[in-house]
Amino acid sequence: MIRHLTAIWKFRHFLHALVRLDLRLRYRRSVLGIGWSLLNPIAMTVVFTVVFSNLLGDDATDYAPYLLAGMAIWGFLKESAVQGSRALIAGESYIRQCPLPYAIYPLRVVLGQAIHFFIALLVVLALVLVLKRTTAPLEVLWAVVPGILLALVAAWAVATIFAFTNVYFQDTQHLLEVGSQILFYLTPIIYKRNVLDRKHLSWVLDLNPVNLFLDLIRAPLLTGEPPPADLFLTAGVFTVALVGLAAGTTAWLQKKVIFHL
Amino acid sequence: MAKIDLDNASLTFTVYPHKKVSLKEYLVQGLFRRSANPPLAVHALSGVNLHVRPGDRVGVIGHNGAGKSTLLRLLAGIYPPTGGTREVEGRICSLFDISLGFEPEATGWDNIAYRSYLQGETPASLRGKIDAIAAFTELGDFLNVPVRHYSAGMLMRLAFSIATTIEPEVLLVDEVLAVGDLAFQQKAQARMKEMMAHARLMVLVAHDLPTIKSMCTRVLWMEHGSVVKDGPPGEVIDAYVRSVKGPEAAARAA
Repeated sequence: MIRHLTAIWKFRHFLHALVRLDLRLRYRRSVLGIGWSLLNPIAMTVVFTVVFSNLLGDDATDYAPYLLAGMAIWGFLKESAVQGSRALIAGESYIRQCPLPYAIYPLRVVLGQAIHFFIALLVVLALVLVLKRTTAPLEVLWAVVPGILLALVAAWAVATIFAFTNVYFQDTQHLLEVGSQILFYLTPIIYKRNVLDRKHLSWVLDLNPVNLFLDLIRAPLLTGEPPPADLFLTAGVFTVALVGLAAGTTAWLQKKVIFHL
Repeated sequence: MAKIDLDNASLTFTVYPHKKVSLKEYLVQGLFRRSANPPLAVHALSGVNLHVRPGDRVGVIGHNGAGKSTLLRLLAGIYPPTGGTREVEGRICSLFDISLGFEPEATGWDNIAYRSYLQGETPASLRGKIDAIAAFTELGDFLNVPVRHYSAGMLMRLAFSIATTIEPEVLLVDEVLAVGDLAFQQKAQARMKEMMAHARLMVLVAHDLPTIKSMCTRVLWMEHGSVVKDGPPGEVIDAYVRSVKGPEAAARAA
């Protein structure tokens, strides 16, 4: 695995150039450019805030940043998995031209998504500072960074696993679309955790790994309180397990996958 | 030290007549142990032994489908051997399939950068070379246009110019590479000769027997994925021509 990572590091200029290209191409002919990556969650936030703060009686200044933060984290994880699953198929022409470490292709997708993710988190931060008139979140930014890093690594691992799966079994990408739709509603993004607590369904959340990253990133940004230490441990163990699975998949399939492309 | 070592290397493709295996196929296979899409084993290379040391210029000849190009891809590391071992040391430059792996939406300039990074350049080292690469392509203002709009010939010019700027230790060439128009072909051939002269070792796949005879120190004759004969150019080429055309033609060719 170390060898795989040093090989990726060797091609960092290539990776960097392609991530920049992907960003540029995505907004090539749009007037708003990268603003579109924000407008989508912001529009949803506005709609949901209007609907839900009336429906659930939540405070809108409370709910809007909560929703936007949740959407940003969810969007990053979901798009990394769904688009990452196509990474090897999309990279076939490179794979046939030049032997590169396979994990570089999903990494290209994840890094592209990460840039949108960071921008969205900055907006969340700004929103909290303005709406809540507090600078408390700024004081816990150090506590958010490890959560973000863990989310990046986990997303890369998941994307790698699905990228390999998708070569053998192309239904993966469609299953992922459906699966993520279901998971979205099982995750406290548009509703708050206490909605499930009331129905004694909070065990659903304890089994949901996405919730780990919400608690690590969203919670401190909104409340200004660092996440508990055992949460880092749980998320760390979970991420390490994913990385192990991704490394195992890569080691197992990297000499076979080209014959199936 | 640059070297190539293939020991009893084999490559077996498993081909599914229908390109992808569907869920239905999975279930049918699992439930009934019977398949509507049976895997087909294709032995592209079997038991190839090849040891190349610095200074060697190896030519590979044989019929279409004899496994010549597969051998090159195996040497380049694109295909792993499914049996035996492959060991290649040294900076590899492969001149085949070179128009693969471009970003169609990016400009010629950008693609020069991407491909160069793949070949181990850094932004700093590329700065000194990119103008020379661009000049060699003779594409001029077309380099500002996305590669998607290029003709096949233009793409080959671009690919060839980038691929041949590095100084390789191991040079792998598929001669079926027809690069651009007549003027560019002459230029390309001159550069290729220069590269072949400088490379520590070379493997050249070609159908043009005189070229092989003049450039190679050793020839490999392949058939059905196996090496039929491996030896000095004159001897192997004569044997090959005799097997294809009969003894008289071989005598005339010699």
